[in-house]
Amino acid sequence: MSDSMIEILIKGTWETIVMTFVSGFFGFVLGLPIGVSLFITSKGQIRDNKSINKTLAFFVNIFRAIPFIILIVWMIPFTRLIVGTSIGVEAALVPLSIGAAPFIARMVENSLLEVPSGLVEASRAMGATPFQIIRKVLLPEAMPSLINCASITLITLVGYSAMGGAVGAGGLGQVGYQYGYVGYDTTVMNVVLVLLVVLVFIIQTLGNFISKKVDHR
Amino acid sequence: MIELKDITKVFRHKNRITTALSGVSLYVPKGKIVGVIGESGAGKSTLIRCVNLLERPSSGEIYVDGQNLTQMSESQLAKARRNIGMIFQHFNLLSSRTVFDNIAFPLELDKTPKSEIIIRVKELLKLVGLEEKANDYPSKLSGGQKQRVAIARTLASNPKVLLCDEATSALDPATTRSILSLLKEINKRLDITILLITHEMDVVKEICDEVAVISDGQLIEQGTVADIFSHPKAALTKQFIASSLHMEIPVDYQENLVASPQAGKHPLLQLEITGQSVDAPVLSEVARLFNIDSNIINARMDYVGGMKFGVMLVEFISSAENENRAIEFLKSKNIKVEVLGYV
Repeated sequence: MSDSMIEILIKGTWETIVMTFVSGFFGFVLGLPIGVSLFITSKGQIRDNKSINKTLAFFVNIFRAIPFIILIVWMIPFTRLIVGTSIGVEAALVPLSIGAAPFIARMVENSLLEVPSGLVEASRAMGATPFQIIRKVLLPEAMPSLINCASITLITLVGYSAMGGAVGAGGLGQVGYQYGYVGYDTTVMNVVLVLLVVLVFIIQTLGNFISKKVDHR
Repeated sequence: MIELKDITKVFRHKNRITTALSGVSLYVPKGKIVGVIGESGAGKSTLIRCVNLLERPSSGEIYVDGQNLTQMSESQLAKARRNIGMIFQHFNLLSSRTVFDNIAFPLELDKTPKSEIIIRVKELLKLVGLEEKANDYPSKLSGGQKQRVAIARTLASNPKVLLCDEATSALDPATTRSILSLLKEINKRLDITILLITHEMDVVKEICDEVAVISDGQLIEQGTVADIFSHPKAALTKQFIASSLHMEIPVDYQENLVASPQAGKHPLLQLEITGQSVDAPVLSEVARLFNIDSNIINARMDYVGGMKFGVMLVEFISSAENENRAIEFLKSKNIKVEVLGYV
């Protein structure tokens, strides 16, 4: 493998890491509030509201139903509006974040369901406001589960970003597609594969470690 | 201090309507400990959850410390709840916080300055005797220690009343006693009014001043503990009292027991002493008057609200005639005598 190829692989790896973590971050910025809203508006919770819950669930389901590769293409006009281009890492961040958000929302909702209802009740009895209950009870108590949910999301995003590579997002996906598939280079293809697998392993191990660290149950 | 006026709570599930509480009125005077006793499903949990409006009653009014809670907005209610402590059967401690931070929790909600929190939490840790556990997580504590943390936490905001929702039901007898004596101490020292619900008469006997019996969502009897114990009216009340006085016949006595009198066998009696019984040293009296040797097999006496209550398994040994006269004598003293058989 030539030096220039190694450089391309390093650049690709870095781009994949950036896409994964940055879109993961924005995914949480969007998905966490939606997930919390889904949870608190569900039946018997602190802000029980059927119509808001149904509306949110409707949009979450729609976005979860769209295959990611279609979402990228479908979102091109919107992506152009936000970052000015539809090609490259920055452009990929938009559909990646928006594609991850509903996924994260559902996982956050599930994590919050695991928090014993007695804790919310006790906090209400102590005079906590709904906002205080979310910030000081629900989120900290669900933290181990939320960390797990973050590692699953990041791993999914590694896959999504590679998929995006095929339509011009950059990263390891593009390297594998362009040099490995189109250029018939088996070595590059296999190296890309190993790099992606290693990345996934690192994320999972790190996630498990942190989740265990914050778990005092 | 706490007044419930004609509280009704109806739950609606799709097409089923269940009435959890109907027309419940209860008054808890300042500084007293009042217990509500009932079987599971009687509505006692709904009742105590209505007091701080965790459950909003369908109709009726609730006054705590002179304020009508039922007419408050959500934010006024959140404030009012800080004056109403509550502890639970399953403790409900935050697993992500240490003992110290759990107790600090209500103070954080109130935006108390950090330095004040430290002083207050240390005080409370001392009160409940858990100073060296400050930095442990709840998962490392025993049930009794967890309930102590929960009590400290609820006392942090200086409540005027304390609601106890089956607070000792998940604890063993020895721990139950220590938690009950802590509650009693809090009641006396900090002048906190306590309303508790339980299904155990022992809890009522141990710390309550007054008791109400709940059945099918209605209070069927209420009064001072001494009153209820000495003149129980409802069948359920009698059953609760009996269950707290229940006594088993030991196995080897059980084996030798026959139903009718026989030569060489003597009666095995269960004596129940209640508030109505004449307070007298009856066993030594029967010994003197009827030449009875009494062999106590099992006995349990309690002193509740200035009266003696108890139950005793005793074998009377004398001539058959004297034995019968002794039994009649005890009955005349208003002691409930049951001949369990002859051993």
